Amino acid sequence: MSNVIGTSVSRTEGRAKVTGSATYSAEHQISGLVHGYLITASVANGQIRAIDTREAEKAPGVIAVFTHKNAPKVFMPKNDFMNSKIYEARLPLSDNQVHYAGQIIGLVVADTFERARHGAHLVKVEYDTQTPLIDAKKVTFKEAPPQFGEEFAFAKGNIAAGLANAAIKIEATYTSSTELHAPIEPHAIIAHWQGADALTVYEHTQWVAGAQRTYAELFALPAEKVRIVAPYIGGAFGCKAVPWPHAILCAAVARQVKRPLKVVLSRRQMTANAGHRSETEQMLRLAATKDGMLTAIAHEVKSYTSPVDVFIEPCTGITPVMYTVPNLQLKQELAVMNIGTPTFMRAPGENPGLWALESAMDELAWALKMDPVELRLKNETREHQRKGLPFSAKHFADCLNVGAERFGWNDRPMQVRSLTRDGKRVGWGMAAATFPGLRGRASVKVRLLPDGTAHVLTAANDMGTGAYTVVAVTAAEVLGIPVEKIRVEMGDSRLPDGGLAGGSQMTASLAPAVTAACQEVLKTANCTTASEACAALRQSGRGAIEATASSAPGAEMKKWAFQSWGAHFAEVTVDEEIGRLRVTRWVSVMNIGQVINAKAAASQVRGAVIMGIGQALMEEAHLDPNTGYPVVYDLATYHFPAHADTPRIDVAFVGKPDLNFNPIGARGVGEIGITGVSAAIANAVYHATGKRLRSLPLTPDKLIG
Amino acid sequence: MKNFSYVRAASVKEAVQQSGANQAALFIAGGTNLVDRMKVFLDEPSHLIDITRLQMQRIEPTTDGGLRIGALVSNTAVADHPDVRRNYPLLSRAILSGASQQIRNVATVGGNILQRTRCPYYYDTAFACNKRKPGTGCPATTGINRMHALLGASDQCVAVHPSDMCVAIAALDAIVEVEGPRGRRQIPFTDFHRLPGDTPERDTNLEPGELITAVVIPPLPFAKSGVYLKLRDRASYAFALVSVAAALKLEGDRIQAARLALGGVAHKPWRPTEAERFLIGKPANTATFQQSAEIALQGAQPLAYNGFKVELAKRAIQRSLTISANGGGVA
Repeated sequence: MSNVIGTSVSRTEGRAKVTGSATYSAEHQISGLVHGYLITASVANGQIRAIDTREAEKAPGVIAVFTHKNAPKVFMPKNDFMNSKIYEARLPLSDNQVHYAGQIIGLVVADTFERARHGAHLVKVEYDTQTPLIDAKKVTFKEAPPQFGEEFAFAKGNIAAGLANAAIKIEATYTSSTELHAPIEPHAIIAHWQGADALTVYEHTQWVAGAQRTYAELFALPAEKVRIVAPYIGGAFGCKAVPWPHAILCAAVARQVKRPLKVVLSRRQMTANAGHRSETEQMLRLAATKDGMLTAIAHEVKSYTSPVDVFIEPCTGITPVMYTVPNLQLKQELAVMNIGTPTFMRAPGENPGLWALESAMDELAWALKMDPVELRLKNETREHQRKGLPFSAKHFADCLNVGAERFGWNDRPMQVRSLTRDGKRVGWGMAAATFPGLRGRASVKVRLLPDGTAHVLTAANDMGTGAYTVVAVTAAEVLGIPVEKIRVEMGDSRLPDGGLAGGSQMTASLAPAVTAACQEVLKTANCTTASEACAALRQSGRGAIEATASSAPGAEMKKWAFQSWGAHFAEVTVDEEIGRLRVTRWVSVMNIGQVINAKAAASQVRGAVIMGIGQALMEEAHLDPNTGYPVVYDLATYHFPAHADTPRIDVAFVGKPDLNFNPIGARGVGEIGITGVSAAIANAVYHATGKRLRSLPLTPDKLIG
Repeated sequence: MKNFSYVRAASVKEAVQQSGANQAALFIAGGTNLVDRMKVFLDEPSHLIDITRLQMQRIEPTTDGGLRIGALVSNTAVADHPDVRRNYPLLSRAILSGASQQIRNVATVGGNILQRTRCPYYYDTAFACNKRKPGTGCPATTGINRMHALLGASDQCVAVHPSDMCVAIAALDAIVEVEGPRGRRQIPFTDFHRLPGDTPERDTNLEPGELITAVVIPPLPFAKSGVYLKLRDRASYAFALVSVAAALKLEGDRIQAARLALGGVAHKPWRPTEAERFLIGKPANTATFQQSAEIALQGAQPLAYNGFKVELAKRAIQRSLTISANGGGVA
C-alpha cells in the first residue's frame, strides 16, 4: 500500500488549468461552428403580442432567428430525477407566455458571437402585460408539496406544551437574501449533431449519465445516440446539474440549422436564466429548561419559486438532525413569484436552515447565560429524530472541542461589547455545521498497463473540486503505485456511469467504486500487487488488464443515519460609526469520515467558508420591485468576497473513517463548509456590538443603525 | 455591438477634427468603460477615434508647484507617482480604492473622468432610462435605488457618478484642459460634470468634439493631510455607497482652510461648499465636524432604499475630518 489516502496531494489537472490547456465547455474547437445569442423578455408577466425579427434576419452574418412562432420540436422528458431532469418544466419557446423578466423568448444564430448578439438586439417585441407578482409581502403562501419524494411537515411530541412549560423561550424571524451561484465559468453549451439522430453535447454537467438520458428523451433518441463531453467544469454549486432552457434550445436549434451551435450566457442572462437560491424567511421558536436542555423547537420556513417549476429551499431538513428535542414541529411554505426558477445552491436547505437555527441557538445561549459551545454539547442528539436511526461515526463534540481549543474560545468574555482593538469592536462567534452523508451508484473502469501505469475511467466529473485527484489518490492507494502513474479520464458519457456530482456525494460514490475496480484488476491478474501484475503482463505480452466495478449504497441505509458535522469559530471587527464589518480570524473543524486528499478537502472547506462570508456580508441579488428582474448584472455589481474580505482560514478534520457508510469511510466535503458560516458571523457581530442582526446580508446600512 | 469604423489619431488636432466631422464618433483610450457599454448597446458609435498615441501621457510639475497630469496617464501611474503620493495622498488613495489593479493599469485619467454611471437601470436596455433614451422614464426612482443619489438629483434621473478619483480631484479644485473644434479652454473641475436636471443624458459640460487633454492640480500644501474614505459593500472592487475626500489646514486647533468632496451621493462629485465654509475659523473638534456634516447633507432627498446613506455620509465626513485634523493617513 502506498498510504497516500489522507495525505496532501496537489491536483493532478492543476497544470492543465493554469496553462489554459484544460478545455471548458465553450472552448471545444469544432469546425463549422455557429453562435447563438438569446433574446430575453423585458417584462415579468405577460404575453408576446408581436415579435418582429425581420431586421435581425437581414443583419450581416445572421443565419436564423427562432421564436415561439417557429420553435423547433422537443419532447418533454420524464423529468423525475431518476431517469432524466431539466431545471425548468416549461420547454423553451413553447408558447408566447412570459413568466418572468429575462425569460428566453428567442435565439439568434449567426456566424460570429458578436453578430448573433447584434441580431438579438434588433428583435422588436411587443407585449400585453399584467401586473407581476414580485412583492414578497403580497404573495400567497401554500404548504410546500413534497420534494424528491419527501414530505416537509413533521411533528413529534406536543409543541404547544413544550413551549408553554419552558423556562426560557426564544422566538425570532430570520431572513436570507436571493443569491446567485456565480460560478467563474458562465453557462455554455456546444451542440453538435451527426446527422439528425446522433448528438454530441459539450456542456459542463454535474451529472453526465443523467444529461445523456435527458437529451435523449428531449429528442426522442436512444441514449447511446447522445454523447456528453464535460471534462472540466469551472464551478457549479448546483446550477449545472441538469439542462437549463438555453441548453435545450441550443441543441434543438443546432439540429434545425444543421450546424454545430454554441450558446454562452452573459453574466446578465445568468441572473435570471441559470438559477438562484431563493430568499427565505424563517421563524424559529426554541424553548429550554433553566439548565439549557431543549424542550421544543418549531421551525417555519417560507421560500419562493417561479411560475414554471417548483423548487423549495428545504430549510427544515436540518432541524431534526442537530439537537435532541422532545417536541418538534416543522413547516415549509412556498409562494410563486414572477421570477426565474430557483434551484440547488451549495447546501440547499442546510445552509439557510442553519443560518436561522444556529442564530437562534446563540440567542438561547445568551438568554441562558451559557457558553454556546456548552449549549450545543449538552443538546447533541445521537439519532436522526425524523428517521429514527442512530448516527454513524458522529464526532460533532470533537469538532466543537477541537475548534474551541484551536481558536482559544475559552478566553472569550461572556459579555457583549467587551473586546476592542484599534478603536473597533471585536467579537467572537461560533456555529455548528452539518450536511448529510449521501452516496449514489457509481461505476468505474480501471486498466492496468505493462509500463506500470493505470487508467481510471468514469463518466463522473470534476466541478473544480478535485475529483480527478481523489480518483487518482484512491487508485494509487489500492494499486500501490504512485499518483503520477495514474491517468484519470472523466466527464464523457462513453465511460461507465460515475453518478452525480451533487449533494457532496461524488467522493463517497466514486472512491468505493475505484477501490472495487482496482481490486478486481488485481484479482483478474491473480496478483496481490500491481507491480506483480505489470510484470506478469510484460511477460505474457498482453496489452492490459481491465476491470469494471460498481458500488452503491445498500442495507446500511436502513440501519444508520449518515451525517457530517462541523463547527466554525469566527472573529469579527466592527467599526460601528461607519458600519464596517470585517471577518478577521476563522477556525473550521470538520468531521467528514475518511479524508482522501487533505489539501483538497481543506480547500473545499475554505472555499465554502469564503462563499459563506459572501452570504453573510454582501451577497444579494435585489429584484426590481416593478419587473422582478435582478438589478445586478455582472460580477462587479453582484458582490462576493474579494481577497480583502477573506481572513486566513484554519481548517482541521477530526473523527474516524465512517466504515458503516462505505468501505473507504469517506462522507464528502463539498457543501458542509458553507453551513453555519453566516450564523457564526452574526453571532460574532452580536458579541462585538450587542446588536442581534437577523437579516442577511450584514451590509453597512444594518450595522450603523 | 454595432459595426464601427476605427482610426488612430496622430495628433490632438487630428483627433478633434475627426470628432467634429462625425456626430456619432467617440474617442477611445483605455476603453475599460466604453467597450463594456458598447457590448451591451448603451453606446453605438459608428466611428471610434483611438487617442492612445497622442502626447498626453506625462505628469509634469507646473510652475506654481502643482501638477499637470496628461489625460492619457493611466490611473495606476497617477496613483504611484511620487509627487502625487507626497503632495496629494488623497488622490492616490482615491484611485487605489477604485476598480481593480488590471483596470487601473489600462484606464486613463480622461476616461475615468468621463466614465458613466453604473446605475443598473441605465446599464440594461431592458429597462427604460432617461439617460440612455431621454423621455423614456426613470425606473430607478421607484426601483432598487440603494446606490443612488441623495443630493442634486431630479425626477428624471437619480444616478450617481461612479468615480473615486474624481472625488479627490474635486476636493483639490483641479482644472480640466480641453481642446475642441473652437480651440482650447479650461474648465474648473467642479463645473465639469452636470447635475441631471431635465437633461440627464448629458453628464458633462464638454461640447461636441472636445477632448480632455490634461488635468491641472493646483498646489495645496495642506492636501498632505488629506483623507479619502470609501464605504462600500465589500472591502475591494465595489462602488462607493458614500465616499469622502477631505483635507484641513489647521492653525493650532483652529481650522484655516477646508476641502470636502463627496462621492456616491450625486450625479457629479459633490462639493458641499457651505459645509466647507462653516469649518473655517472653527475649532477642529467633534462638534464642529458633526455640524459641518449636518450642513453637507442638509438638502438630502433620500429615496426608498438609500435613506441610510444620509447618516453614513455624515459619519464618513466626521471620520474623514477627524483623521485629517490629526495629520491625515489611511481611513
